[in-house]
Amino acid sequence: MNGAEATQAPAAGAQPYVVLDGVGKVFTSTRTGERETVFEDFTLTVRQGELVAVVGASGTGKTTLLHLVAGLEEPDSGEIRLADGTGRQRIRSPGAGSARNRLGVVFQQPRLLDWISVRRNVELALTSAGLDPAGAARALADVGLAEYADRYPSVLSGGQRQRAAVARAFAVEPELILLDEPFSALDQLTARRLRLLLQELWTARPRTGLLVTHNPLEAAFLADRVIVLDGRPARVRAEFTVGLPRPRSPEDPQIFARHNEILAALG
Amino acid sequence: MTHHTTAMAEVRPATAAPPPGAGSGTPPATARTRRTLSRRVRAFGRGALPVAAFLLVLVGGWQIVAVRSGSVLIPDVPAVWSALTDIVTQPLFYDSLGATLLRVGLGFALAFVTAVVVGIAMGRVEFVRRFFEPAVLIGLTVPGLVWALLCVIWFGVSLTNPVVAVALSAAPALTLSIYQGTRATDSALREMAHVYRFSVWTSLRYLWLPSLLPALFSGARLGLSLAWKVIVLVEMFGMSSGVGYELNNQFAAQNVAGVLSWTLLFAAVLAVLEYGVLQSLERRLGRWRKATAV
Repeated sequence: MNGAEATQAPAAGAQPYVVLDGVGKVFTSTRTGERETVFEDFTLTVRQGELVAVVGASGTGKTTLLHLVAGLEEPDSGEIRLADGTGRQRIRSPGAGSARNRLGVVFQQPRLLDWISVRRNVELALTSAGLDPAGAARALADVGLAEYADRYPSVLSGGQRQRAAVARAFAVEPELILLDEPFSALDQLTARRLRLLLQELWTARPRTGLLVTHNPLEAAFLADRVIVLDGRPARVRAEFTVGLPRPRSPEDPQIFARHNEILAALG
Repeated sequence: MTHHTTAMAEVRPATAAPPPGAGSGTPPATARTRRTLSRRVRAFGRGALPVAAFLLVLVGGWQIVAVRSGSVLIPDVPAVWSALTDIVTQPLFYDSLGATLLRVGLGFALAFVTAVVVGIAMGRVEFVRRFFEPAVLIGLTVPGLVWALLCVIWFGVSLTNPVVAVALSAAPALTLSIYQGTRATDSALREMAHVYRFSVWTSLRYLWLPSLLPALFSGARLGLSLAWKVIVLVEMFGMSSGVGYELNNQFAAQNVAGVLSWTLLFAAVLAVLEYGVLQSLERRLGRWRKATAV
């Protein structure tokens, strides 16, 4: 908690790292043919080294937002600009293909391959990213799963499986980390432990990240900036800068103060 | 799907389990293997007793009918047995069996490769699905006899004839079950593979094939059962070797005991392949599921 170790939130002047510029996305129901506008001329910027949390009720397009950035969905209009480590930009827009940064993604479910060991799961992500698979052991040790590396995911607890998913996301040395309701499928105590673990990993090696959650407390605890989203089409209802140094304590009254502000904005 | 296969895997070994103490390569008898052994003995009793009873009724009933009728068209059990042992002791049996298995093996391999490619493509691409759907439906309805006749006409006494006939009869069932398996493959895992940039090869090896395994096995069973039927027909009409050809010879000689013996032996070989090879392969590849049960 002392000032020397604490990392400050990145300066507001840091370069834009992820930019959604006038993005539109319409879903057409395959059954009814009904068109639903999820995003219309939507703009959002995540600066380098910043962890931005997007909070909103379900159905506000949070997950779609994450899918757009991850390249799992293509925008219908507008463009998504992604900077890489050297500051070069990759542009994703309709018809421009799907340039992708090296991503680490933690989904709500661990999404591990059940038929191979935990270690092998991490190794596959490493080799696919062109990295040395030997890094898997270290990544698993960092999340406290060293002893479980050679087990099948199915023998691990839910929390352990999600730890493995976190290890995989950090192991690939991602330019961008995407967190999609990462701890909402876990019990409260496990979720709290994993949030602390995530903070620890983040403090050790800060990256740029986008966290999508419906939990205002999680957003206030983890993020540098919190964006409250309103749905259909999505628009930014409110924005908060958390501005607290890391490591933070989940009991810090200032976190609760931020949490209350976010709650009020969610209304 | 998972539950289904595990349930089957639990039931099946009952009939296939070797008698206790068989298998020369058994690992040292730790407490655990002893436990599984005694479980196997119980399972053997549960599964083998009804089978033994059925065989007893069949053989006994047959003998009674044969003796009562006194007809040469219904040979009694000793006559069938002596014909059977006669066949087994001759090299002709092994040559014929080898020829038939080779043809089925090649045809099935052809069907398998085609079905994996087409089935996965059907599951992924709407156009491909619509394109191949009629072909699969037609393929499933056309009787094996028709494939056999057509292939004999087109390819004559070459190896192509049985291979194509087997492939044509097995591929539709295999394709259908692989297509269904592809549809059922977890889209969440596909997204994971996408964001971590799995190569086509990595996806195939670590995502698609393991996910499709249950579908592959059920498709393989169905496809093989169709393949056996068609291979016998092809060999009857258009080949000069193989189990079907020998069956036809026995038929021409009006040797009922011979027909029965060849049929019984062929069925026995199939049972060994099904229970011995397919099932142990399925259990081996499904080891990770066992980890959950421990």
